Amino acid sequence: MPDPVKRISPLAEIAIQGRFGAGGAVPGVTLSVRHPVNIVSVIARKGKARALAAAMRGMKAQWAGFEQYYVLDTDYPAVAKKLAGLASCSDQSHGRVIIRIEGPEARRVLCKGTPVDLHESVFEVGKSAVTQMAHVGVHLTRVGADVFEISVFRGFSESFWEWLTEQAAEFGYQVA
Amino acid sequence: MTGFRLKKGGLVDRSTALDFKFDGKSFTGLQGDTLASALIANDVHLMGRSFKYHRPRGVISAGSSEPNALVTLREGGRLEANTRATMIELYDGLVAKSQNRWPSLDFDVGSVNSLASAFLVAGFYYKTFMWPKSFWEKIYEPIIRKAAGLGSASKEADPDKYEKAYAHCDLLVVGAGPAGLMAALTAARAGARVMLADESPALGGSLLNEQDEIGGMPGCEWASGVIAELGAMPNATLMPRTTIFGWYDDNIFGAVERVNDHVLEPSRFEPRQRYLRIMAKRAVMATGAEERPIVFGGNDVPGVMLASAMRTYANRYAAAAGQSIVVFTNNNSGARTARDLRAHGVHVEAIIDSRESNAVIINVKGGKRVTAVELSDHRVIPCDGVAMSGGWSPVVNLMCHHGGKPKWDDAIAGFVPPVVSAAFVAAGSAAGHMLLSQCLADGARAGTLKGKTPAVPKCRDEAFAVTPLWWVKQSTGKAFVDYQNDATAKDLPLAAREGYRDIELAKRYTTAGMATDQGKLGNVNAIAILAEATGRTMDQVGTTTFRPYYTPVSFGALAGPFVGPHFQPVRKTPLHEWAEEQGAVFVETGLWMRSSWFPRDGEDWLASASREVIATRTKVGICDVSTLGKIDVQGADAAEFLNRLYCNTFTTLDVGKARYGLMLREDGIVFDDGTTSRLAPDHFLMTTTTANAARVMAHMEFCHQAHWPELDAQYVSVTEQWAQMAVAGPKARATLQRIVDKVTLDDASFPYLAARNITILGGMTARLFRISFSGEHAYELAMPADYGNLVARALMQAGEEFGVTPYGVEALSIMRIEKGHVAGGELNGTTTAADLGLGKMMSSKKDYIGRMMAQREGLVDKNRQCVVGIRPCDARDKIRSGSHILKENDAPSMAADQGYISSVAWSPMLNMWLGLALVANGRARHGEVVKIFDGLRNIHMFGQICDPVHFDREHARLHA
Repeated sequence: MPDPVKRISPLAEIAIQGRFGAGGAVPGVTLSVRHPVNIVSVIARKGKARALAAAMRGMKAQWAGFEQYYVLDTDYPAVAKKLAGLASCSDQSHGRVIIRIEGPEARRVLCKGTPVDLHESVFEVGKSAVTQMAHVGVHLTRVGADVFEISVFRGFSESFWEWLTEQAAEFGYQVA
Repeated sequence: MTGFRLKKGGLVDRSTALDFKFDGKSFTGLQGDTLASALIANDVHLMGRSFKYHRPRGVISAGSSEPNALVTLREGGRLEANTRATMIELYDGLVAKSQNRWPSLDFDVGSVNSLASAFLVAGFYYKTFMWPKSFWEKIYEPIIRKAAGLGSASKEADPDKYEKAYAHCDLLVVGAGPAGLMAALTAARAGARVMLADESPALGGSLLNEQDEIGGMPGCEWASGVIAELGAMPNATLMPRTTIFGWYDDNIFGAVERVNDHVLEPSRFEPRQRYLRIMAKRAVMATGAEERPIVFGGNDVPGVMLASAMRTYANRYAAAAGQSIVVFTNNNSGARTARDLRAHGVHVEAIIDSRESNAVIINVKGGKRVTAVELSDHRVIPCDGVAMSGGWSPVVNLMCHHGGKPKWDDAIAGFVPPVVSAAFVAAGSAAGHMLLSQCLADGARAGTLKGKTPAVPKCRDEAFAVTPLWWVKQSTGKAFVDYQNDATAKDLPLAAREGYRDIELAKRYTTAGMATDQGKLGNVNAIAILAEATGRTMDQVGTTTFRPYYTPVSFGALAGPFVGPHFQPVRKTPLHEWAEEQGAVFVETGLWMRSSWFPRDGEDWLASASREVIATRTKVGICDVSTLGKIDVQGADAAEFLNRLYCNTFTTLDVGKARYGLMLREDGIVFDDGTTSRLAPDHFLMTTTTANAARVMAHMEFCHQAHWPELDAQYVSVTEQWAQMAVAGPKARATLQRIVDKVTLDDASFPYLAARNITILGGMTARLFRISFSGEHAYELAMPADYGNLVARALMQAGEEFGVTPYGVEALSIMRIEKGHVAGGELNGTTTAADLGLGKMMSSKKDYIGRMMAQREGLVDKNRQCVVGIRPCDARDKIRSGSHILKENDAPSMAADQGYISSVAWSPMLNMWLGLALVANGRARHGEVVKIFDGLRNIHMFGQICDPVHFDREHARLHA
């Protein structure tokens, strides 16, 4: 059932588009908020991890812990229906905010927050980590060579955005 | 004129002149200078006054070990005290001031201490200012501190940014001298991820200071070639201006990069300094060796400096420390300095090598500047500079940070680092290998992570030989062991005589080795003198403990960006915007910002909260309860899982119903509470208190993984997915009915404790729970967070005709106290379920966490303090939380204590202060009059113990 009203991102008034920080014509990173987005946490039921992996084929899934995933871009009822009996699913679409950071300096910005080694030989495209940045728990995924997605609890999103943009300022950043 | 700029040579940029000020006087230096080298080139040698005797002091070293030339750099909020002039890169507009002098550096009143020095021996303060004891804190200590202090901190806020970052590498090389460069180059050429850090602004280490030759070219040219090659490699990171200050577990290194200390003002987008945590698979300590002073009379007169420093000033900075130099040495460094100085055209008057000469220097003449040296054979040699070398100490600090002790090596007369780990090795002179060829070979070996070590370029070695000379005992002037603390050679035998034979005790007693330089120059001399005084070997005396930080680290770097409002993250609820619209005053609850009260024109918090309570109890109120922890619990064994976590039963809970649950800790004490609803046979929604949400989640993880891995249960926090509002009061139902779809909210279709998925506002997903914390007929409505503000506004509209009022946590708290509901004040980690009046919830039909331990004698004692209501006998009295309960006629004492008040509130319904208290055997004492003693204000009043349910004891309003 489609929701009757427009969803409002907690960063709607915060992540203002434009060019900020230092630098010349080319910003070091571009930041954007993925909203609205569907996020479903999927945890394998006991003994069903393998069957779950097979059933998730074709879904956009990110690793999020032992036998746990975030499935993106498919809505909760559809995910829950497809994975019934194999996994416990919970809608997190409103509970988490995904910030995308891309550009040549993306890794240098992120290494100011996470102790995870983001070198491409260690943290390849498609890899995810559950980590912390600026005292906030984050779920971090490399979605491209220079593209990362950071997912945080919505309540922290404003505070986290302030920290993230401050760290990106020395390279210059664009908010798209 | 004595010091001057050499006509040619050096690594300074003669085309870029820089203006700077020292003690208000203007000078000019060159790009590439340090403040120390620029001052020397301007013939300024007096750079500070000593700590205790206020003796005139000049620069001793050319690096981070500098004990004397401590200055206050910059002004205003950027002021930084106790900065080593030898480490300050000169920039245009630099301003620095000398310290520890009054009224001026040239004329200092405090230097009279020097005249009284016979009394100011080691331990003087401890012996003299012992009596009367009360004088120490208020009188002696402040005066001594004022007289002694080095620089003073700025009182203004630091306007600059600081930053933290993490880094990873296959090989971290600490020190970019010959060994470090060779190690980095070898590893990087083999493809490893290499980081090369050096505290200096230019990489190259000793190669920049010396006249070395490698591969047929000057050492500094060879270094530039290596640096250029490394700089072009994507797998190598060059980190000049970066001090590796500590070695921690798992080969993690702490570092500070001085990103913008060398500019007048950092760009507002860049940090001044960056604090780094470097995780290194392997690391090489190529930190080199530090030259030692010799302990002889007047070895602190400005113009006396380390031989290697003097030639560094000449070779690297083209600054001559004097016109006529005497060299005093016990090793080959002296001859090397003499040779280099002469090559630069500086006159060397004499070389006194204690290995060959019978005469040694016993005193240096001159006050603010060396004028002559006096030898033991009574010769007096006029000069304006003395270059001294007492041998070399490998810089072993980092390798000793895990507690390993360095070992004495007679061959080099120095302590060499302990063998600590295959993943952290020493190379070059840091390992006690003093020849350049050894440094290169060591570096190549340490940089070979696998396979064969490549060949190294050929180089010219300088001879290295040393015969210890620790202390010229015939000295007539004061002979300093530790410059920064004014510890003299005589202090150490004194310490030994007074029983402080252990080096750690001698350090504290004499202060040798303390303060900002931590004895980098003087410690080995101190150990040797103590060894002789106590008839022990160097190894028997050993070193003091090496700890991080290697050199001082600013508080700004340690704090990073987490200062002021960014000290900790702020967590906002999905209803924050709505609450702001309603004029909420927010309160920090953990990290959450919660709406505390909603004042209307001129109301204070109590007036506002009281109005909110009355409106809720008579009409309808709505409150943001989104911060309560919400955990989705699913799986075939979800009910069984909850049954074991809670002390009451959950397997019997029907789908569509909520139940209050109480969770105990393993030790039987109450842990948390909340309502948990069954949404489907295998799906529950648990709620926790705001404060314990994360702890409960961790507890569940532990219990599942460690105790019951066989259970098919999955759980995940959904706290942030849902915005949640309490809608309470006689008009709650009528208000809600206007926004829910289809459901009729009567007692038949939606009874007390119903919990269901519904839709609202024409199709929006929501959850409705008929539960109450206020004691009113109440609901909690949850909707996906992005819709929170919108739904809250819709509810305000729906309830407008009923007088709907937003209420905050203050009103919430008043209502729960009126109703005797326990919360944080009672769930305080000391109370059992029975103490809280919830003993009947503890099931006897099943096992659960805390069951066994809750039966312990002490936890079931009938005299335990349990929750009661408390009211003042005189309704005008204000009772306060934390006050103690005594029997009516008892005087306050620990023995007479009956308990304490855990929560209080002004009740607008009963028009008085009332509270909850924990009182011994309280349930049997309802009606008893007691004394309420407030020890903070030293007042008491009388009160009466009563049932904790102060208001609506029959709970009639729940179903109204």
